[in-house]
Amino acid sequence: MRFENRYVRPDGADVELSWTAYFDKAEGVVYATARDVTETKRIEAELAAHRRHLEEMVDARTAELANANKELEAFAYSVSHDLRAPLRAVDGFSQILVEDYGGKLDAEGQHVVSVIRDSARKMGQMIDDILAFSRAGRLEFKQQAVDMGALARATWEELTPARGGRSISLVLNDLPAAHGDPAMLSRVWQNLLDNAIKYTGRKPDARIEVSASAADGEMIYCVRDNGVGFDMAYVDKLWGVFQRLHGAEFPGSGIGLAIVKRIITRHGGRVWAEGKVGEGAAFYFTLPSRKDAP
Amino acid sequence: MSELARAIEILLVEDNPNDAELCIRALKKNNLANKLLWVKDGEEALEALFHTGRYAGANGAPKVVLLDLRLPKIDGLEVLKRLRGDPRTRLLPVVILTSSKEDRDVVEAYELGANSYIPKPVEFDPFMETVSKLGLYWLVVNRPPGI
Repeated sequence: MRFENRYVRPDGADVELSWTAYFDKAEGVVYATARDVTETKRIEAELAAHRRHLEEMVDARTAELANANKELEAFAYSVSHDLRAPLRAVDGFSQILVEDYGGKLDAEGQHVVSVIRDSARKMGQMIDDILAFSRAGRLEFKQQAVDMGALARATWEELTPARGGRSISLVLNDLPAAHGDPAMLSRVWQNLLDNAIKYTGRKPDARIEVSASAADGEMIYCVRDNGVGFDMAYVDKLWGVFQRLHGAEFPGSGIGLAIVKRIITRHGGRVWAEGKVGEGAAFYFTLPSRKDAP
Repeated sequence: MSELARAIEILLVEDNPNDAELCIRALKKNNLANKLLWVKDGEEALEALFHTGRYAGANGAPKVVLLDLRLPKIDGLEVLKRLRGDPRTRLLPVVILTSSKEDRDVVEAYELGANSYIPKPVEFDPFMETVSKLGLYWLVVNRPPGI
């Protein structure tokens, strides 16, 4: 038989002993051995306390993070909302200036007003972009199976107006299903395909290829185009907020890839890109396979 | 108190004078602003619709209320709630005209009984076009419930 018991030593210290006893009926004797497990017990208790503490810390950190994200979203929402009204006034009243006083404005005056209106429009776009960016990092997102092929195809269809009647050859290979938030992944496809459409704007034989491969517990998706490309020396800048490698010849505020990166990072994946000036670019993103998903 | 004498067709509830000016300009272009009353907060909106306070003694109801959501004193959704809670104004056409494009605001507005939800465009041309269309629809095309 085995049992454990706690004793007090003559010097006042607590001791825990683990007994193993055996009653030998024939001989009428009890054999017993005791092992001092005080230290073992103490270590086990400490370990349990540490584990509990760690779990509490993780819970607290997660709550803090969720809170910080919620605050950021609320801030981005209220800022973007509050900025829209004065922006509307800037654009509206400068147009009223043109409509009611246009006769008194010379060509230079008209130009000045058009710069004001153009800037207001750009600022409006940036406000919307900031909001979209802040939403891309939210902690609560859906986790479900996503048919990436269907999603890419549907996004391509939605981008019909962006294609502006151009004939672009799209090669959409089979894509493995992913696990994540369909709305956010849809946004990823939208931004990557929209970029590919935009930056092949000058190519009469524009070609966009979407492909994927699986390796080492993750899926790697790729959107490749034969458009204007970019200089690899600046590849790291691609992913920054409001960072652009091209000028006004290609419209855009520089938030599309920042949003893609934020969404993919949130899904536990990575992003990278390759490009060659004048030849084209390829954008890659990975998503962990189901069992490794966050 | 001349507001009491004329029949109001549009009640514009908007706290931002610049937005109100743009709105009125758009409606004027389509000759829809003659019978417009502009109030700057929710409290005055309710007085005008329930004929109390500054509007005691007024009568009739507008064909449509253009209601902003962010208002001082009593905010847009609260105004909407009170309108829908009163038999005199339960059926009154209310169009939410607001800066907010947030889903939660849209859903709540419809849940509380808004007839329509229009996010205010930031750019002038779409804004003018939206308000003109809106004015024409609710004042000319739509049939109010004859309250």
